[in-house]
Amino acid sequence: MSDQTKEAIDQINRLSRRSFLKAASGLAVAASLGTGLLGAANAFAAVPEGIKVMSASEYQVMHRLMQVTLVTQGTGLVPASEIPVMQTLDAALLATMEPHILEGLKGGIAYFNDGPRAEYGQPFVELSDTQAAAFCDTWADADEVPQRALAMGLKKLVGLAYWANPPTWTPLGYGGPVTEKWKLESLGNAPLPKS
Amino acid sequence: MQDTIKAKNVPARGLAVTQASDVTRDTLELNADAVIIGSGAGGAIAAYELAKAGKNVVVLEAGPYVPSEKFTEMMAVSMDTLYADHGGQANSAGDIAILQGACVGGSTVVNAALCFRTPDYYLERWGKEFGLTNLTPKVMRPYFEKVEANLGIAPNKAYETSAGAQLLKGGMQKLNLPEGNAHRNIRNCAMTGFCFAGCKSDRKQSMLVTYLPWAVAYGASIYADTRATQILAADGKASGVLAEIVDPQSKTVKCQLRVNAPIVVGAAGPVQMPLLLQKSNLNGNGQVGKNFACHPTLSVTGMFEENVDNFYGATHSLYMDKYTMPEDGGYLLLDAIQDPVEASFQAEPGTGKPYMSYMSKYRNSVRLITLIHDQNVGEVNWNNGAKEITYFVDDKDFQIMKAGLKTNARVLFAAGAKQLYIPTSQKLTIDSVDQIDAVIDSLDNEPARYRYTSFHPQGTCRMGADPDTTVVSPTGETHEVKNLYIVDASLLPTSIGYNPSETVYALAHYISDQINRAHG
Repeated sequence: MSDQTKEAIDQINRLSRRSFLKAASGLAVAASLGTGLLGAANAFAAVPEGIKVMSASEYQVMHRLMQVTLVTQGTGLVPASEIPVMQTLDAALLATMEPHILEGLKGGIAYFNDGPRAEYGQPFVELSDTQAAAFCDTWADADEVPQRALAMGLKKLVGLAYWANPPTWTPLGYGGPVTEKWKLESLGNAPLPKS
Repeated sequence: MQDTIKAKNVPARGLAVTQASDVTRDTLELNADAVIIGSGAGGAIAAYELAKAGKNVVVLEAGPYVPSEKFTEMMAVSMDTLYADHGGQANSAGDIAILQGACVGGSTVVNAALCFRTPDYYLERWGKEFGLTNLTPKVMRPYFEKVEANLGIAPNKAYETSAGAQLLKGGMQKLNLPEGNAHRNIRNCAMTGFCFAGCKSDRKQSMLVTYLPWAVAYGASIYADTRATQILAADGKASGVLAEIVDPQSKTVKCQLRVNAPIVVGAAGPVQMPLLLQKSNLNGNGQVGKNFACHPTLSVTGMFEENVDNFYGATHSLYMDKYTMPEDGGYLLLDAIQDPVEASFQAEPGTGKPYMSYMSKYRNSVRLITLIHDQNVGEVNWNNGAKEITYFVDDKDFQIMKAGLKTNARVLFAAGAKQLYIPTSQKLTIDSVDQIDAVIDSLDNEPARYRYTSFHPQGTCRMGADPDTTVVSPTGETHEVKNLYIVDASLLPTSIGYNPSETVYALAHYISDQINRAHG
């Protein structure tokens, strides 16, 4: 694994909370699959609108991770497909990364996708839901530091990109901002002190 | 007692700040009596005290000016606009998020407003070990009293609590542990729980609504979007600062600024301050950037059977410090409410359904934080043009953390939690009290294994009498350069095991007095 990838892994683990701006709409991206990670059978012909940073192959990996991580069936939570998770990830997290960090992250995504080959004989994007979840859990408890860091970091990115969108809060019972709702008056500046 | 000048009126709201958008020239030169780098706890207080004494003061803040009416009360957005590296600042291993404010007002805008006086133990220890015999409890008491009066620091009122804190208090009572009632710099807390996102209704008495407008009333000028690039010194004396005014949107430099001033006050914080000194070639004894500490914290999440709804209320209201002093254990417990974004990465319930099932029970969750008094084992340096915070939790400190986690777990169970999530990379829960020791004892000190957060970086420009082993003298002036003072948390010779904001406030007042005495 390259130093840049290691640095990128560090970087994504730092992403405690970031701005989650809605991705700019109306920007169709015609991404080529020429440099894809593996040309998966279920490859997308192109990435959706608003995806500017991830390549089609990287999009596949992160989208698959989203499907595996954000399982809402039977929970009452908003399906990930109804939330602009990938657009939020792309525009609010990846687009603001330093170029060398982003390059390393891209290497990390490829490394993660190749991870299951030894055990399952196929890349992450081609694993079943059960296999993919088991793979993530195995890496999260691995002896290898990069594997733990990637499993924790990539899932964190996907989770942040989902939960940062306010529509996901309603099923949790969380109401979000309150100052205007509660009609709170601003106290403004404090008066000059005596000392 | 220095002379003071007459102040202008403090406006009811807002702050006069020059921002990048106001600048039309590509070069600018200012002359001042004092230039202050940073507008957080230390910088704002120094600006006020020096301006009040009649000095022409210029404050340079690298971050943006975000007036409180623009605060969003959305943590994810707030991290981007108000925090260092958009909330992404971390140690070199990437497993400790090191959170600092990066805006006008600094960390005081986004902290939890929790205030503790520096324990006498540390003031006395600093005297013995670092020659800071001037910082006795008797000397410091008036400074604590002053800032407490100015910022309204007082114990929480009975209603200033949260649903989670009430449960945890019950747990502490069952275990005969003392419940600490938080002291905070708050006026009429509205209990929104958005301290970490900035107080939209100005209840938190951050520098944004106190010392900065007060400093401006005495004539200080504040420049936002303005990153200091070099401290100027000639013949061993400070002479000013070079800076860049940067457009926050395009990240392009709009203006090269030079401030000529015979007094330079560093208040850029424990990460940026040593980097600026190193960049300015002001590290003669090699101590700049060393001795970094950060009070690492881990949050244990307890799951209750009932809805707790621990997301509005006082951000912090309860602490437990029976074991905080080093000889007693070295850890502090703090309650904290949290929004869904924060909750989403505090635990690892397992991938997929287990994770979403866990998040579905957000209303049932309560977290309790363990914070440790850590050793100063880190460093802040440049590495290939980028900052690097090299810090790994020391093995001895990790044992302290484990002891703290055990008490943390016991309190949560006593409070009524049915299951606890330990903040590891892998799924790890504690399902009953009798599992606590076995689970916590099994933890090893490994990188990328735990979900640490630090709110208190400190110690990179250590204060002390010895010019060979410390950076700043007992009066706050650097050993290397005359008239260059430092007033931020980088001064602290050791970590103090408690939130250090009041310590910084008091030291900034003390050092400002030294500056005014030396430059009357």
